[in-house]
Amino acid sequence: MNDSSTPALQAEALSMHFSSPQGTIRLLASLELSIAAGESVAILGTSGSGKSTLLGLLAGLDLPTSGRVSLAGYDMTAMGEDERAQLRAGRVGFVFQAFHLLPGLTALENVMLPGELAGSDGVRAAATQALERVGLGARAGHYPAQLSGGEQQRAAMARAIVSQPSVLFADEPTGNLDHATGGYVIDQLFEMNRIDGMTLVLVTHDPTLAARCQRVLQLEDGVLVASAP
Amino acid sequence: MRLALTMLWRDWRGGELRLLAWSVVIAVAAVTSVAWLAERVAGATEARAADLLAADRAVETTEPLPEAWVKRAREHGLETGRTAVFPSVVINGERTQLVSVKAVTPGYPLRGKLRTRARPSGDERVTTEVPEIGRVWVAARLLTVLDLAVGDTIELGDSALKIARVISVEPDRGGFVDNIAPRVMMNQADLAATGLIGEGSRVRYKLLLAGEQERLVAFTQQLRSEQGNRVEIETPTGDRPGVSEVVSKARRFLGLAALLTVVVAGVAVLLTVRHYAERQTTGVAVMRALGATRRRLTQLFIGKLLWLGVIAGMLGSVLGFALHLVMLWFVADLLGDALPAPGLTPLATGWLTAIAALLGFALPTLIRLRDVPPMRVLRRSLGQGLFRGLTPVLVAAGVVLALMAWQARDWWLTLIVFAAVAATLVVLAAVAAGVVAGLRWLTRASGKRLLWFTGLTRRPWTAVIQIVAVGIGLMSLFLLGVVRGDLLETWRDRIPDDAPNQFLVNIQPDQLDGVRSLLADDGIDAEFRPMARARLTGLNGEAISADDYRDSEARDLLTREFNLSWAEAPRTGNEVVTGNWWSGDDPAPQISLEEGFAERLGFEVGDTLTFAVAGREITAEVTNLRSVQWDSFKVNFFVLVSPGTLDDMPMTYLTSFYLPPERDALIAELVEDYPSVTPVDVAAILRTVRTIMDQGVRVVELMSLLTLVAGMLVLMAALQITGERRRFETALLRALGATGKRVRRLLRYELLLIGALAGLMSATIATIAGVFAADLLFDLHYPWRPWILLAGTVTGMATVWSAGTWAARAYYRVSPMTLLRQGHD
Repeated sequence: MNDSSTPALQAEALSMHFSSPQGTIRLLASLELSIAAGESVAILGTSGSGKSTLLGLLAGLDLPTSGRVSLAGYDMTAMGEDERAQLRAGRVGFVFQAFHLLPGLTALENVMLPGELAGSDGVRAAATQALERVGLGARAGHYPAQLSGGEQQRAAMARAIVSQPSVLFADEPTGNLDHATGGYVIDQLFEMNRIDGMTLVLVTHDPTLAARCQRVLQLEDGVLVASAP
Repeated sequence: MRLALTMLWRDWRGGELRLLAWSVVIAVAAVTSVAWLAERVAGATEARAADLLAADRAVETTEPLPEAWVKRAREHGLETGRTAVFPSVVINGERTQLVSVKAVTPGYPLRGKLRTRARPSGDERVTTEVPEIGRVWVAARLLTVLDLAVGDTIELGDSALKIARVISVEPDRGGFVDNIAPRVMMNQADLAATGLIGEGSRVRYKLLLAGEQERLVAFTQQLRSEQGNRVEIETPTGDRPGVSEVVSKARRFLGLAALLTVVVAGVAVLLTVRHYAERQTTGVAVMRALGATRRRLTQLFIGKLLWLGVIAGMLGSVLGFALHLVMLWFVADLLGDALPAPGLTPLATGWLTAIAALLGFALPTLIRLRDVPPMRVLRRSLGQGLFRGLTPVLVAAGVVLALMAWQARDWWLTLIVFAAVAATLVVLAAVAAGVVAGLRWLTRASGKRLLWFTGLTRRPWTAVIQIVAVGIGLMSLFLLGVVRGDLLETWRDRIPDDAPNQFLVNIQPDQLDGVRSLLADDGIDAEFRPMARARLTGLNGEAISADDYRDSEARDLLTREFNLSWAEAPRTGNEVVTGNWWSGDDPAPQISLEEGFAERLGFEVGDTLTFAVAGREITAEVTNLRSVQWDSFKVNFFVLVSPGTLDDMPMTYLTSFYLPPERDALIAELVEDYPSVTPVDVAAILRTVRTIMDQGVRVVELMSLLTLVAGMLVLMAALQITGERRRFETALLRALGATGKRVRRLLRYELLLIGALAGLMSATIATIAGVFAADLLFDLHYPWRPWILLAGTVTGMATVWSAGTWAARAYYRVSPMTLLRQGHD
């Protein structure tokens, strides 16, 4: 199931409908997508186009109305929530627009969290290494409130890569950062994609950022349309 | 479990769980302090059941023990010992003290240990001896009261006896009685020489027995069949109400009082845990996105709570242990020094309470976190409203009910107390909600936002919860501290200044004229009443015994002798409520019963009762029931018979009169002349009873103080919940130009208003409770004094303002810039 020919991520006939007082909203309509291992893909779209919903479905955080999503060849739509969680553990990393660091934990403890939840060994060493990699080694003992926005996002990146996932999902990773800081964070993301062979799925509304990916897809009317990189 | 502990530590460090932990600590402290107190007091009294008899069995009678009984018991192969106990008076100069004399034979006690000291502060040692001839051993209190020392000689009747040792523990004596009549123990060989034993004296003779069960039963049954109701057979496990029952009732009462603290602390737990859970929602969503399964999260939450329970349970137990030491110190006088070492059971009780409180109050809310959708990491609107619903409150109520049943060990009592607590909470909440709603209406109707009230009206529900929680603690304090004192004062005021304060009992007929003239010489015109010791033996021609009754006081009335008197006409303070008083020309013997006595034993007008008096039987019909005003302190009787009924029976006389304090010497003089007359100083007894009550009340007051502390925790929890909004509002107000002083003033208004409402409401409810108690229970008129309401209001304001300002200080110290940067999320 997990040989080199298996796509890292695959969506088949993916549909997502919501009920609203105005009637049914069709956010995704029989969407097809295949992402190879190590590939970097940007999903572009306007606000409310369903980018985040698609990202959630691809990461197995939610289930589609119909269709299939496979991660490393495993059909997540046939799994229960806990099975999907187990599949995600160690295979998937996230970088969010709002960072989502736990405020009561230091930077190091935030990075240790995935390993601790999985019950892995050597969690502290791996987390320290990940923090050093994003240039935050000296601030390991600081709480999120004591870090700048850029530093918080780098700590979040360290958390995302600490378990060396095969796929990294990034949701508007620079949305809350200024241009220069955002640029630095993005450079690091692409470096991980290049050096570690991590598949990168990036959701953004910024065409310039999207253009740095190997493939750019535009989400329009519930389907993905290829766009020039 | 290790990860759960690590995460718990991180939460603690972040200040997330402190209030939750303190709430559990306070709840555990309340429960364990009572558990330790009860365990040790019970250990000091009821656990020594066999010791309490000083024998395996005892035969009690009011007649001197025939030598033949002792001989027969020995023939049955039983060990024997004899005691004779009676009240008397010891004089030192002009001071007199009522004592309980116990004359013992060598071998006493057959069971249990008698411990004595050479000096009051000396080392205690177990003794197998009894006082030598010519010597007495006395309770330490007698030395204090009469300013005596070991080696001094006391006069007891016609004898002068030397104090040889101090009694520290006497097996067959509860600690409570010592305060009223301290023990004087003498050798039975000295008894006759004292001249204190005469016909009609109030002596209780006991034949103590020890040996094999079968032989004990054989001997006592034989004696019972011969002597009938004239002897009383006591067994260690037997129906001895008194000390052990008092201890058990006190334990249940205190246990339930402790649960009030648990309930209030539980509210704090409910509030803090909900706040905590709401703050954890995004973090949990991140964990789920990172691959944590629901099962893993459940394990983590339960693990955290169990760890918290273990740690808070330990801290609470330590605090509870310290509190029980304070409580023991309060009641030290009542207990003597026979306390057993503290056990470990209360520690388990503490942990169980901690775990029950956390699993009952916190888990139902916390467990819902596992249902946070992982998609929340991408869409914040998901997972809102997860903590709404009544389930946590219902589960908490169930846990409270279970804890109450565990403490009360009586479902009926549990339900009554639960309903009473719930009703009090509902009343407090309804009134608080009404007031807050009224204030809202007032601010709207006035057309401008009244600055004073905005704190309450913007957060009505947290305000109501705060008022109720603080109010409960204050209410129990007011009830105990103010209303109880008022009731006592009112009762005392009703007793006239010249109400009798001295009783003389055991006056022999040949002493009557002498005593009367001695009193008359001092200007005291006392009325003397005749009295015979009687035992109730039959009802409507059938034998009656204690076994026919379940009520312990009724059983007691049937096993003990009581006083029978006669009267021609009803006396002052006696009023016939049913039937008719006898007329002078009716020769048939008739009986008049006090109505409470009749009710307890189920007797009615028309019943025929049989009494045994000095070996003879009297049978007569009950022709009327009387109400008696007992607190007139005049001589009154449960049972009166018509004139002539008691003719030819051995009688003694008793009287009561008012003796001004400066003429105390008269009693000493009287006892010198008539050693067998026993004076009873009612005022001194009342003072002692009051002291005992006060000591008990201080223990309960300490418990109420804990409830108030729990109420403060609720207040702080509510402040914490609103903390984020307060930060944001403060930042906004300050950014808009309000000074820090002005912002703090708003908080002050809010706290003072909450405190004033809580204080006013609790003082009002406590006063209303006082009025009802006075009217329904004690038939008194409770004085309505507005200053109590004022004092309540001020106390409430002071408590809430000081605790609230301290708890909320962090929300008002941060600069507006930092606050705005953090937002109010």
